[in-house]
Amino acid sequence: MVTSDIYKKEYDVIVVGGGATGAGTARDCALRGLSVLLVERNDYSTGATGRNHGLMHSGARYAVTDGESASECISENMILRRIARHCVEETDGLFITLPEDDLQYQQTFIEACQRAGIRADRIDPAEARRIEPAVNPDLIGAVRVPDASIDPFRLTVANLLDARLHGAETLNYHEVEGVMINQGRVEGLKLLNKHNGEHVEVRGRVVVNAAGIWGQRIAQMAGVGISMFPARGALLIFGHRVNNMVINRCRKPANADILVPDDTVCVIGTTSDRIPIETVDDMRVTREEVDVLLKEGVKIAPSLATTRIIRAYAGVRPLVASDDDPSGRSISRGIVCLDHAKRDGLEGFITITGGKMMTYRLMGEIATNAVCAKLGNTAPCVTASQPLPGSEGDGADERDAATRRYSFGQRAAIGRHGSLAARIEKDNDIDNALVCECEGVTVGEIKYAVRQLHVHNLVNLRRRTRVGMGTCQGKLCSCRAASLLGELNHDVKGAQEDLAAFLDERWKGMRPVAWGDTLREAQLTASIYEGLCGLDQAVSLEGKEDMQ
Amino acid sequence: MRMDTVIMGGGLSGLTCGIALAKRGQRVAIVASGQSTLLFNGGSMELLGNIDGQAVTVPLEAIATLPQDHPYSKIGASRIGQLAQEAQSLLADAGIEMDGNADRNHWRITPMGVAKPAWLTLNDHVRIDDLSQLPAKRVALMCIRGYFDQPNAMLAQGLRGLGFEVEMKEFTTDDITALRRSPSEMRATSLAKHLVSNSALQRVADQLNSLAGDVDMVLMPSVLGQNDTTDIHNLQALVKKPLYLVATLPPAVAGMRMQAQLRHYFRMLGGTYLMGDSAVSGTIDGERVTSISTAKLTDMPLRADHYVLATGSFVSRGLVADYERVYEPVLGVDVNADADRERWTRFGVLEPQAYCRYGVATDDQLRCLKQGKVIENLHAIGSVLSGHDAVKMGDGTGVSLLTALAVAHSIKGDK
Amino acid sequence: MAERMQICNLSENNFEQCTKCSICTTVCPVAAVTTDYPGPKQAGPDGERYRMKDPAYFDKTLKLCLNCKRCEVACPSGVHIADIIQQARMRATEGHRASLRDTLLANTDLLGTVANLVAPVANATLGLSPTKLVMDSVMAIDKHRTFPAYSRQKFTTWFKRHAAQGQDAYAHHVSYFHGCYVNYNFPKLGQDLVKLMNAMGYCVHLLDKEQCCGVALIANGLYKQARRQGRTNIDSIRKSVTRDNRVVLTTSSSCTFNMRDEYPVMLDIDNADVKDSITLATRFIYRLVDEGKVKLIFKQDYKRRMAYHTACHMQRMGWQLYSILLMRMIPGLDLVELEQECCGISGTYGFKKENYERSQAIGSALFKSIEEARVEAVATDCETCKWQIEMSTGLPVENPISVLADALDVEATMKANGVVVSF
Repeated sequence: MVTSDIYKKEYDVIVVGGGATGAGTARDCALRGLSVLLVERNDYSTGATGRNHGLMHSGARYAVTDGESASECISENMILRRIARHCVEETDGLFITLPEDDLQYQQTFIEACQRAGIRADRIDPAEARRIEPAVNPDLIGAVRVPDASIDPFRLTVANLLDARLHGAETLNYHEVEGVMINQGRVEGLKLLNKHNGEHVEVRGRVVVNAAGIWGQRIAQMAGVGISMFPARGALLIFGHRVNNMVINRCRKPANADILVPDDTVCVIGTTSDRIPIETVDDMRVTREEVDVLLKEGVKIAPSLATTRIIRAYAGVRPLVASDDDPSGRSISRGIVCLDHAKRDGLEGFITITGGKMMTYRLMGEIATNAVCAKLGNTAPCVTASQPLPGSEGDGADERDAATRRYSFGQRAAIGRHGSLAARIEKDNDIDNALVCECEGVTVGEIKYAVRQLHVHNLVNLRRRTRVGMGTCQGKLCSCRAASLLGELNHDVKGAQEDLAAFLDERWKGMRPVAWGDTLREAQLTASIYEGLCGLDQAVSLEGKEDMQ
Repeated sequence: MRMDTVIMGGGLSGLTCGIALAKRGQRVAIVASGQSTLLFNGGSMELLGNIDGQAVTVPLEAIATLPQDHPYSKIGASRIGQLAQEAQSLLADAGIEMDGNADRNHWRITPMGVAKPAWLTLNDHVRIDDLSQLPAKRVALMCIRGYFDQPNAMLAQGLRGLGFEVEMKEFTTDDITALRRSPSEMRATSLAKHLVSNSALQRVADQLNSLAGDVDMVLMPSVLGQNDTTDIHNLQALVKKPLYLVATLPPAVAGMRMQAQLRHYFRMLGGTYLMGDSAVSGTIDGERVTSISTAKLTDMPLRADHYVLATGSFVSRGLVADYERVYEPVLGVDVNADADRERWTRFGVLEPQAYCRYGVATDDQLRCLKQGKVIENLHAIGSVLSGHDAVKMGDGTGVSLLTALAVAHSIKGDK
Repeated sequence: MAERMQICNLSENNFEQCTKCSICTTVCPVAAVTTDYPGPKQAGPDGERYRMKDPAYFDKTLKLCLNCKRCEVACPSGVHIADIIQQARMRATEGHRASLRDTLLANTDLLGTVANLVAPVANATLGLSPTKLVMDSVMAIDKHRTFPAYSRQKFTTWFKRHAAQGQDAYAHHVSYFHGCYVNYNFPKLGQDLVKLMNAMGYCVHLLDKEQCCGVALIANGLYKQARRQGRTNIDSIRKSVTRDNRVVLTTSSSCTFNMRDEYPVMLDIDNADVKDSITLATRFIYRLVDEGKVKLIFKQDYKRRMAYHTACHMQRMGWQLYSILLMRMIPGLDLVELEQECCGISGTYGFKKENYERSQAIGSALFKSIEEARVEAVATDCETCKWQIEMSTGLPVENPISVLADALDVEATMKANGVVVSF
């Protein structure tokens, strides 16, 4: 459907927010037969969805402090293994006790896990060292739990793909400017199309506010108040996987106590700082955050001290004050679903927030249930059993292909797209050519992403394919990919600006850790793109940040 | 092992200095830890391209205005013209055929079609002397099918912006198509290895001739001539229109060739080039370096009267930044760098970055300092020097060449 | 220590010191001749990140790597690219059985022992066309290859009969790791070394026990056997160094490189305490001359024009310098230093039928430059380069030690060094 038709239509439901929760809600609504429009002000998964550990909690982390969240986690954990196989790596996790920690806590922890239904096996420290050689060898206790790693970008895209397969429409780079209300009922949204600066309107019978931390602003536009408490967390990405299992500290949750193997890298995090809501768009990592993460990370896996850090990033958790306590002292980490008709007397407006990236499906289910109740839809929720696109079947064919027949790029693509990798063109040598050599991204995969996965710029492309996510952070591949994108979109000038914006986005993450090999890398990139190519003369970066 | 001069670093500055000294009869050893940043060079040398973002037209005049800590100022602005001529003839002696002069910058065309000020450009690469008088009106831009290290559309757009009429044509030959079977190795340097035989060049020429149409000039990516310029000249002879090359993304064939030519020339002059070895430490006795140890010669250190530090910037590991400081790793000589890590860099990838100006501290004869004291027989040349930002100023290759020659003169005691 | 490392945070993971500059790809001789090989960057540091994620990312084409180490020499970041590739191969193939052909080729000493016993027959048989055809079709050893001739008498036999007794007569002592090639194929090189060392006043001794260094075993995936032999060698070398205070000299660059640099990396054999005492004879002699401890006097009438080819492993060690500088001391020798190109043989690689064409294609640039140099002979420190260059150019190829020994004026040298033999 062309965009202008979307503006004319009236939908059953409009979902605001292209993170995992919004995507999951849109999918659920679409699967229950509703007509759905999802709007996102930037790219999909640019908020907290794409700015966390990529950890698929077993729930063990919350077992002691928040049994309800823990139960939700383990149940969603098991569901995601089935429905999102291609986004999940079943690594398992360790909760380790270090000499400075209280070993007594371990027993409390195991009992809490058992209460929440989480398998938690105490293992010998020697066994822990054997199954995860990267672990701090000084550990005095270890518990094995079914943690896993999950790729939030892929997860979100798979949900969007399925939503679209079932009739949903999606608009990215459309920012909400206002909520249209008529006689106490929300009727639609005023949007800014950021591609062309046009102001447009979209109509729907119910609006679901799934905008994460930005949901407070959306609610404000609808004239209702929600108290959000932005909790900022910074993380560091290391150049390769030092660990193959998730490693947590077995103690009360604190700074930098989880190390997660994600695809080709590993991630330590997070810090946790309450920040003013006005600053939630500034995600630059500070020197202090880097220092804390390094200092604590080394305690989990000593080899992190001598592993290259390729970048730093930060995200904001959308924590919500419990409704009966507007002061914010009692903050829930659980899922919060507000029907503003009941709460504020505003019909057709639902807010779904709180929760975690990995409980996105449950959040979608809860929100969709609320929508359905309003619209009189009685279709059951099937998202817990129906696999996402890419995760159909048992994956045996892909595994076979992965180990035998295919090239590096093709194998890497199967790892990223699961069964959907079959749609990537690979019939000629040019489609098989590698654009990103670090991550094995081929021309064919880029074409597929541009045509099927809503890619407008290089940063979008990176989130869909891992282009430029390797150790060099886009040395040669960003130029290759920019050219290709310019060709596919027939916009050369745009491609050049996009290239500069992409390099800037990469630098944003590299700069806080710019020493050692990462600084060398940066200097080489500067000498290629500025010195050799003169990119700085060809484009200006001013005012380009919004499109990320 | 006894030498007259030991040079640490085998890139443009190290080789230039080594050649200048070997020519004068010195026994010179160059310790080269791998290939150099010349392999990222697009076929031009730059004396001074920009000051405060403004293109420089007359480099010698602009150099006279540079601050005191710039390497050119240390050499002495009045000597630059003379040294530049000397550098040009040294390059020519090594077989590197470049055009240009230090009195007036010309424009080189970058892989993205940007015109950047340059001093010397390989005479088979496209260049513009005067932007108001283009060397051609209609240009055929020949793009190689399946070759991705040339952003063709950006290049064409840039050329059009300069006033050329550009027709983009895509071509391939059997040799090129065969090479594309490799998903990763279709690089400029790989093409250069395959486009060597007369028949392979003829196939390229046939394509260019049939596609070019009625144009004044044919451009193609610089993917020819890995060892010498024979292949380029052969192709130029086979193509009916004037054929010029455009720089590609690295590794660059032209840079690889220049590196090889300089190394070959240095060896011919009797120089000793220790490829793939690196200086790891040295001994300093009072105000003099007495020996340099390398990774491979281990317990047989190199001894010489003079030592030259030509180890490059961070990217070449001539400077090292760790979590808390910037240092020079071989001899631990003084560096000019901010102590606070927060000041090394700033957000905004295209902003000037402070670390680009970091380098070793020297006196006005380019001699290194250690704890503030001059080391009499240790000079620094090229990118390891502080006081200039090669990325923003476009003076990297010029500083390498000219500081190398200035130091060679002072080692030989010239006035 | 941990505290300090944390503060510096400089990577100790060699493969991630790669800045993806791609310079290694410009020097790879294999990628230059076949698109089947993904090149050193992809096979090395790029692939390694994926193999760490999942070993199934191992790519069989990695066996096309010659292990020539040219990528490592070119790398401006000091990444041990070829080591990464070889170790990945080892992880992926350890425990697999090598083919009969590979086992035969790899066991250079076993092959040698048998062949020595029947040298005249072996030489004739290995040279015969029908035999070659059988080897070509059944064994997949390329028919173009000429097996190096086997000597009737092993070097060790000669040494025990003719040289051993006199060796206590000199003032200084060294040990000699002769290697399979000297022992079975070309004892003259060993004899040349003894002649040279003796003339300088140095006694030469054999090690307590020497086995094949295992370079071919590693290349053919016979890691267990290589490890066993490696340990035996290092034990013997250690005895020579610590018990007898004798440095261990070698004349083969491949054996030397293997024992010094590959043992710890590929076979996990700790040689740190003796590594510096394993040295090519040319390096040892150069040092003596450089330090003024010995003098070499060469024949007045010696006149020859030769080219020096730097073997890949020699270049990786960075020691070609010593061979070149020593040969340059010979007044009558006009030495042309060739550009460093791979000859393509890489030990047993080029003997395999499937590699033959690639092997010759790789070497073609070198053969051309040798032809253009217009020399009478070629010098190189590697025996397999010698076979390859002899087969491909028809020129004789000699080890620098033999060149020095031939040019040496023995009596004058002995006199100059004050060598008095007291039997």
